[in-house]
Amino acid sequence: MTLGHRDYDMRPPLHPFTALTAAACAAVVTTAAAYSPLSVAVALAAVFLAVRRGVAGRVLPAAAVILAPLCLSLLVLHGLFFPEGQTVLAQWGPARVTAEGLGFALELGTRNTACVLVFLLFSFTVSVPDLVSALAGRRIPPQFGFVLASTLTLVPAVAVRLDRIRQAQETRGMVVRRGLLSRLGALRLQMVPLVLALIDDAGSRAQALDARGFGSRGPRTSYREVADPPAQRRFRAAALLFAAAAVVWRIVASWPVGVPS
Amino acid sequence: MTATTRTALQIRIEAFTFHGENTPVLSGATVSVAPGSLTAVLGGSGSGKSTLGKLMAGWLWAGHAGEFRGSLELGDTLLEFRGAPDDPRINPAEWSRRVAFVPQDAAAMLSSVRATVAEELAFGLENRATPRDDMLRAVERTAARTGLSDLLDRDPATLSGGELRRLAMGCAVITEPDILILDEPLASLDAAGAAQVEDLIRSLRGAGTGVVLLSQAADGLAAEATHWIVLDGGRTVRGTGLDGGTVTAAGTPAQLAGSAELQRAGVIGIRGPGVVGPGDVSPAATGPGVVGPSVVGPSSIRPSAIRPSAIRPSAIRPSAIRTSVVGPNPAAGARSPGPVPVPAPGPGPGSLELRGVGFGYGADARRRGVPAQARVLRDVDLAVNPGEIIAVTGPNGAGKSTLLRHFNGLLRPSEGDVRVCGRSIAGVPVGTVAASIGLLFQHPRDQLFERTVLREAAFGLRQLFGKAEAEGKARAALAAVGLSGTEAAHPADLSASRQRLLALATVLAREPAVLALDEPTVGLDQHGLAALQSAVVRAAATGTAVVMVTHDLAYARMNAHRVLELKDGQLSRI
Repeated sequence: MTLGHRDYDMRPPLHPFTALTAAACAAVVTTAAAYSPLSVAVALAAVFLAVRRGVAGRVLPAAAVILAPLCLSLLVLHGLFFPEGQTVLAQWGPARVTAEGLGFALELGTRNTACVLVFLLFSFTVSVPDLVSALAGRRIPPQFGFVLASTLTLVPAVAVRLDRIRQAQETRGMVVRRGLLSRLGALRLQMVPLVLALIDDAGSRAQALDARGFGSRGPRTSYREVADPPAQRRFRAAALLFAAAAVVWRIVASWPVGVPS
Repeated sequence: MTATTRTALQIRIEAFTFHGENTPVLSGATVSVAPGSLTAVLGGSGSGKSTLGKLMAGWLWAGHAGEFRGSLELGDTLLEFRGAPDDPRINPAEWSRRVAFVPQDAAAMLSSVRATVAEELAFGLENRATPRDDMLRAVERTAARTGLSDLLDRDPATLSGGELRRLAMGCAVITEPDILILDEPLASLDAAGAAQVEDLIRSLRGAGTGVVLLSQAADGLAAEATHWIVLDGGRTVRGTGLDGGTVTAAGTPAQLAGSAELQRAGVIGIRGPGVVGPGDVSPAATGPGVVGPSVVGPSSIRPSAIRPSAIRPSAIRPSAIRTSVVGPNPAAGARSPGPVPVPAPGPGPGSLELRGVGFGYGADARRRGVPAQARVLRDVDLAVNPGEIIAVTGPNGAGKSTLLRHFNGLLRPSEGDVRVCGRSIAGVPVGTVAASIGLLFQHPRDQLFERTVLREAAFGLRQLFGKAEAEGKARAALAAVGLSGTEAAHPADLSASRQRLLALATVLAREPAVLALDEPTVGLDQHGLAALQSAVVRAAATGTAVVMVTHDLAYARMNAHRVLELKDGQLSRI
């Protein structure tokens, strides 16, 4: 992810908190509702927005990496071993495939998919400098914003560094072939140099950050201004209320009736 | 602010020792900086210049980084350090508001989390809670001063070396410090970039800022200094327990120019790395291939001065004639004694051959129809024979490094063919080509990745020479560049000059047929230059073909059989 301005800046800018609130509320409401069609709708909406924003090419592979093992484990855990399951579809020894188990796995799977997609959509579309600036404006420690920004820029930085180390090693006789095994073997040789280089970088940068007053306590100002129109503030308040209501409704709805508290 | 309101800085170092080391890295040094003055601290690589600068600027905290005995005096404030736990502690943020430091690696100055040049400039002000309106004015003023006004919206990661250096200086001066300390501010800048930085320093001095220049070259900028201090670290390497740096001479440039102390310290002569005047040659720098007299102008070239031994008629290949980059340069031959003679032609193929090579960066460099002006290399032909030394020059960004990366396949040509020892390398893995091509990267830190100097030099040698011989080859290569005795040190602990020599040793140890050197002189002090020159000449004498890329034309002219210029994607002889 780059820190630069994005090419869709022509649209009315979305305050980072508005996007974050929308993502969080969507996740909360989906979880509270625990209703597969809603989960599927939220997931589809996230995919649609990702395509519209031109980030589907990054959101979907990332989602696949996270969701494939998760959904598989849900399927194995609940699809095969669901004690409450009545309708047995197939059975191998202690493993029983029940309709209820499959239904539960499907519900959990779609819910997780929706949550993962909305948060990935947020993290791939948010302007990191705007987010850091907005956080600093809310008296959140700047170190938090710095760590957040560094984390989001770490992956590209690591990729660049790994590429340099690979070039240096290839130049000195390491043969990297196309196969996965060859690449994994090369990666093993690059890990120690990578970690050492990142630590070295961090050390030299820390002195400069200190000298530029980053470690000092006290108030800070922000050069970057992030517009926060009143309409977006109202939207955030409404979304938070709606999410809170959904949670309350969920608690009330599933409260065991007739059990003395 | 005028010069009269500015304060002065004085540092007196009895000794500074890094934690975990026995001997001080600096001792017996006093530096005073007056408002509006330029003080040049000159010394070879590893003499402790950067440590001195960081101590003055509060980047190294006494007690935290090491044991400091001495004093720091800024205006009315006097801080005494005795190496005791109750020593005063410097607040780096407060101190740097008045004493700013720009490190040798300009990128290390940047926060790396700001999206634009303007925000990066403002970072230090934000942390000091400067009101936004003041910040906007300060950014505008600093940008104008550093020539960054047109770049304020750019992502700092996309800046060139010169622009990055000016941004780092802008970040340092935006708080209007009284003192500015610059560590090798001109390293790896071409003439245009260096001129911009020099102008900036002049304007800061005019406004009353006291400037300290830490440099291993007594160059044009150092010549403007009011005061020179020579720091000599002997052959210091952190972690090897050798003597630390100490001041061996101080005075005006006129008093110290050409002094024995300057030469002993390994300071490069006043006319640049390649141009070693008679008085500037250290004893170690003499020998084959090292030129004594200063550069001879074109008008004084005598055809008779061209030594026949340096010319190989067979070096002129039909394929190389297209861009007329063949044959020895008479100008190079005139700079006697010049490099060692090229060995007698053998029946075998040339060491390296480029035939019609074209290349362009972009989303897909191989796509047809890429406009010609977007191409970095266009129809490049080059033939290099065993024992030949070729220099490729050109301004920053001309594509010199791109050309070198084609030699071993790190970059693949979109058109044409690269042949090493008579065989095309198309489809051959880089690691395999590496047996014949040794590539020295422009930035040694990109080349070094191991834990110790010996492991670094020995990487990949087992496959080439077998287990029994690998370590011996590595040690011999380290000895060839003067790094014997540093085998156990961590490469990152070496001085910049020695890091480059270590990178060179890793290449030499492989005994390749072709040496490709990217800006090999940058960052080297006089001792390092001598080691480089003797290593190159020795390699060429044993039949290794050498192609070196350098922005230093004078150095190229004196140390190569042929000098080529890369311009508009094409090579031409100059």
